[in-house]
Amino acid sequence: MTEVILFIIVGGIAITAAVMMLLSENAVHSALFLIVNFACVAFLYLMLDAPFLAMMQIAVYAGAIMVLFLFVIMLLGAEKLTEPTKQFRWLAPLALALSAAFLLIAGVAITSGQIDLSSPNERPPMLRIVHAAPYAGPVDVYANGELLASNVTAGKSTDFHALAAGDTEIALNIAGTSTAAVTTTVSLPGDNTKQANGFTAIAYGGDASTPPQVALVQDNLETVPVRTARVSIFNGYPEAINLVDFGSETDPSDDKIIVGDIQPGATVELPPVNQDTSLRAWAFTSVNSAAENLSDLNVLARLNNPDVFTIKRDSAELMVVGAEQLLDGTLRAAVIPLVNDAVASFGGPSSIAQLLFTRYLLPFQLIAVLLLAAMVGAIVLTHKESFVPRRRDVRRKVAKPLTSAITDQVGHDVLTPDDRTPKLPEKQPEPSGD
Amino acid sequence: MVQTEAFVMLSAVLFILGAMGVLLRRNAILLFMSVELMLNAANLALVAFAKQWNQAEGHLFVFFVMAVAAAEVAIGLALIVAIFRTKQSINIDEMHKMEG
Repeated sequence: MTEVILFIIVGGIAITAAVMMLLSENAVHSALFLIVNFACVAFLYLMLDAPFLAMMQIAVYAGAIMVLFLFVIMLLGAEKLTEPTKQFRWLAPLALALSAAFLLIAGVAITSGQIDLSSPNERPPMLRIVHAAPYAGPVDVYANGELLASNVTAGKSTDFHALAAGDTEIALNIAGTSTAAVTTTVSLPGDNTKQANGFTAIAYGGDASTPPQVALVQDNLETVPVRTARVSIFNGYPEAINLVDFGSETDPSDDKIIVGDIQPGATVELPPVNQDTSLRAWAFTSVNSAAENLSDLNVLARLNNPDVFTIKRDSAELMVVGAEQLLDGTLRAAVIPLVNDAVASFGGPSSIAQLLFTRYLLPFQLIAVLLLAAMVGAIVLTHKESFVPRRRDVRRKVAKPLTSAITDQVGHDVLTPDDRTPKLPEKQPEPSGD
Repeated sequence: MVQTEAFVMLSAVLFILGAMGVLLRRNAILLFMSVELMLNAANLALVAFAKQWNQAEGHLFVFFVMAVAAAEVAIGLALIVAIFRTKQSINIDEMHKMEG
């Protein structure tokens, strides 16, 4: 409701300013009213989730362009130069009639639902597959019979692949063979509200006799608070786990559980994690309610390798806690970090820059060339001197009569007005020396 | 939540006001300002539809329109200055002959 009231107020000011711009006699007043109008439109851009364009509107339109207008008005002294001429009497009523007609047609078309305001196109789902099943060995990944990645070893993941929305059959075949280690069908919906629609299928668990399970996790790749990361944890380990921050090594009092009791197959999202957070003291532990101190818990995996486990700013990270098989056949927990840049927020500078520097690079450069041409054009158009070809200049200099060349050297006019014979000026007597 | 129709309607009204300015005012500078108003109205509709369809391309086109408008204003005002030098007037009714 507040939004509607704001829209009515700001839109009203915008229209009023436009009308005042048309009606004011003084061109400077018109320019100032136009600035008010531009500012209102910038506000409307903010309401429409376009903060970057709102700032551009203020800086480029209300700033640069209007300054140019005001400058030219003052330069020419053109505030009140134009009296209406009597040449086109029919123009005013015709313009009013045409405008009214257009407004009527546009109004009817818009209000009667003639413009297409159906819901936006769905974004296709993107799928990646994480191999966290230690007994399965290297696998080839197929989606709907199409090979996505071959020879994926345990602990690795594929890239995101865009798929058609709907049911998708995922098959993990033992690498190089057509024997399916696991086959499952997941339902991937399209989405028309998000900027990115990502899913992660995680193959986990299983042992020598039972095939691994596949869990589907929806990735939240939306914007994160600035300089933070969104960390999610998927537990693919056979037992429930805790995520514990052990703080300093020696002091047991600063140990704390970040997330407790994550069941196998469950996904937990942490609150936003600051980019400066060190994961060195974090560890996944087993759950034991009988343990008195957190340091008594059985540590399954530490995140103490800063080359692998860091918090990358503005990213969405999924940590898959899986297992790896040791040589003696026992299992050990292993953490697979999957870091993705968060998708730029709609209408923000980075989302526009991403489009500008990828798909629309050529138009962007053409615009730059156009602006350069406009700059040169403005200089050429307003240049005061008329253009004189240089060659004529040179010829005229050569054709100069000899007498004028002498004049240049002696500093007198050698042609006396009465007779046209050149004569050197009489020698002045030398002043007597002292 | 304001409907997209409302923004498009406002954009149509602003566009009409700009078009009336082009048709009715005789001052060349005001003419240019009215053209800016029309471009701005088109931009508003583009941004409104960009939000409706959840596509950032609309914003990009607005960005391009702004750049083109800047180029157009630079050339247009240079022309006005040049014409004012020769004719001592910027009344567009007096500019109907193709003479220098």
